[in-house]
Amino acid sequence: MKSSVKIAPGAVVCDECELIGDITIGARTVIHPKARIIAEAGPVIIGEFNIIEELVHITNRFPDGAEGKKNSQVMVIGNNNVFEVGAQIESTKVGDHNVIESKAFVGPQVELTSGCIIGAACHVTTGEKLPENTVIYGAKCHRRIQRERPPAQNLQIDFLTKILPNYHYLKKVSKAQSPPK
Amino acid sequence: MATFMDVNLVRYLCTCGKRLPPCRLYLCRHCLKLRCADCVQHEVDSPYCPNCLENMPASEAKLKKNRCSNCFDCPICGHTLMTRATSQMVPSSEDPSKSTPKKMYYMACSFCRWTTRDGGLADQSTSNGGWKDEENPEAKRINTLLESYRSIAQREKAEKERKKYVKRRSHAGFQDRYGLTSVAMKWKIQPAMSNLSVKETEKVPPAPELVSPVEDFDPLPSEIFSDIVQLDKVTYLSHRLNAPEFQPPATKDLRPVHKHLLVRRSLRCRECDHNLSKPDFNPLSIKFKIQLIALNHIPEIRIMAPATFSVNKETVVTFTLSNPSVYSTVVKLLPIEGDTDLDYMTAKVDLPKSDLVLALHDDTAVYDDGTKAQQEFKDDPRVVVFRRANKLGFAAKVTPFCKEGEVKVSFMMKHEFRNTAAAIQSEDKEPKLEWLEHRIFINLGRIQL
Repeated sequence: MKSSVKIAPGAVVCDECELIGDITIGARTVIHPKARIIAEAGPVIIGEFNIIEELVHITNRFPDGAEGKKNSQVMVIGNNNVFEVGAQIESTKVGDHNVIESKAFVGPQVELTSGCIIGAACHVTTGEKLPENTVIYGAKCHRRIQRERPPAQNLQIDFLTKILPNYHYLKKVSKAQSPPK
Repeated sequence: MATFMDVNLVRYLCTCGKRLPPCRLYLCRHCLKLRCADCVQHEVDSPYCPNCLENMPASEAKLKKNRCSNCFDCPICGHTLMTRATSQMVPSSEDPSKSTPKKMYYMACSFCRWTTRDGGLADQSTSNGGWKDEENPEAKRINTLLESYRSIAQREKAEKERKKYVKRRSHAGFQDRYGLTSVAMKWKIQPAMSNLSVKETEKVPPAPELVSPVEDFDPLPSEIFSDIVQLDKVTYLSHRLNAPEFQPPATKDLRPVHKHLLVRRSLRCRECDHNLSKPDFNPLSIKFKIQLIALNHIPEIRIMAPATFSVNKETVVTFTLSNPSVYSTVVKLLPIEGDTDLDYMTAKVDLPKSDLVLALHDDTAVYDDGTKAQQEFKDDPRVVVFRRANKLGFAAKVTPFCKEGEVKVSFMMKHEFRNTAAAIQSEDKEPKLEWLEHRIFINLGRIQL
């Protein structure tokens, strides 16, 4: 698969992460090593100020039965999201200010709006658009609505932007449209 | 010695009839019997908070209704609430037009993400607290009822005492020969009587006014049937019962709940009244003053490796036997005759006939090469599979006679026990040797069809 990755200036993308397919990464987003973003069925567009931690699998999978049609669906991830270690996201629309905790699984039919928190190890697969500020927690995936969205992680992003380059090689920021190889 | 707390495959029979793994049993060293947590007497040492580990005497705990004053639980999921800080721009006291950042604190649950802001509580300026408890709306009525009943109870108590002394008065007549005793009697009766007289001159407290029963209330509004129920705004029954004074029906009225205290307890054998387990008073420390867990005194049998079983076929299973005491022991394994209760035994087991000698548990054996021990003991290689420090592996042949289900075997284990506790008390240098007998139940797994 040809890999065309556009990294906006200000983003910190470690070299050890796997980026396959047509991926656009917005400014000030931090991607830790060992993250995997696979744009199989279409491009993946990631917004700004996101934190994508280790072992996160963001996969734009082919929907059942439509194998082989490239560029069929675009996966859009908004701004200020946090994907904690081990999360697996196959949902095509993720809004802003969401937090997907460790080892959670968000299926392809789910649509996350803004302010949602998917708790650790929760599997959310039913096809629905989660209302804003939903919290899903617990082994039985209990739900409740918060009053306000989760706090922003700007301090963490500043810290990572300073520290990660000291210990990891980074992928180069693309100045203009990257020429196809 | 490490053991698995959840794996209940090898169980010993307790004197009350229950079968438990040795990590759950206690050995009473005076009656030399196994006891479990249910057949033993629990005594409260001290209540403590599981979060801040604050020790408090039982009387203080009773006043605070067995709740910690500093720690809170989330009203929704029950996890401990953590204090978090934010900095807010607050108009400074000197210059009202400028605003300075000030640290404000709120509490949040790390599991379900409930915050005190969800409950409508304002942020606090101190990190410790200042989280006020709401007063019970019925507090006044409860207090008046309590006071009136307390005064009634006191009057009844005084009347009882008066009756006692009235009876004694009949003897005072014949004791008047000795002037001293009558003076003593006068002193005895007078304070009680003076108490009573004060009570009688006092006004009888008015009985609390009766609450009139509700006879008429509004009918059910028809909106109940037409309004959409917003499930996230309504509390669960468990949330309401956590705050029984308020029982808020709406989630926005939920408040943090004070954390419940736990109790440090010591265990006592019911028959001989000796302590079996006495932990340290400080809730921070995990040490024991007296610790008589069966695991530390009785040889432990463990299954070494899983084996596959089929009906009426003989399978060799290896068990490990380890000796926790500082003296070497001899273990005899005896089969149980005549018990065909299918619940406990679904297989026949062929145990080693000879006595198994176990070396003592030596902490320094970790540093040895391990070649010494094998020279001392002469082991039958068909029975003893291996021997290392205080451990021994022996082989037994198991023949299940049930077609399906779990393979369970049961046998008796007799071993030597040297009672170190009794030795300290008596003057003998060598502790007395006793033979202890235990019945063991082992679950080896399912029969493969």
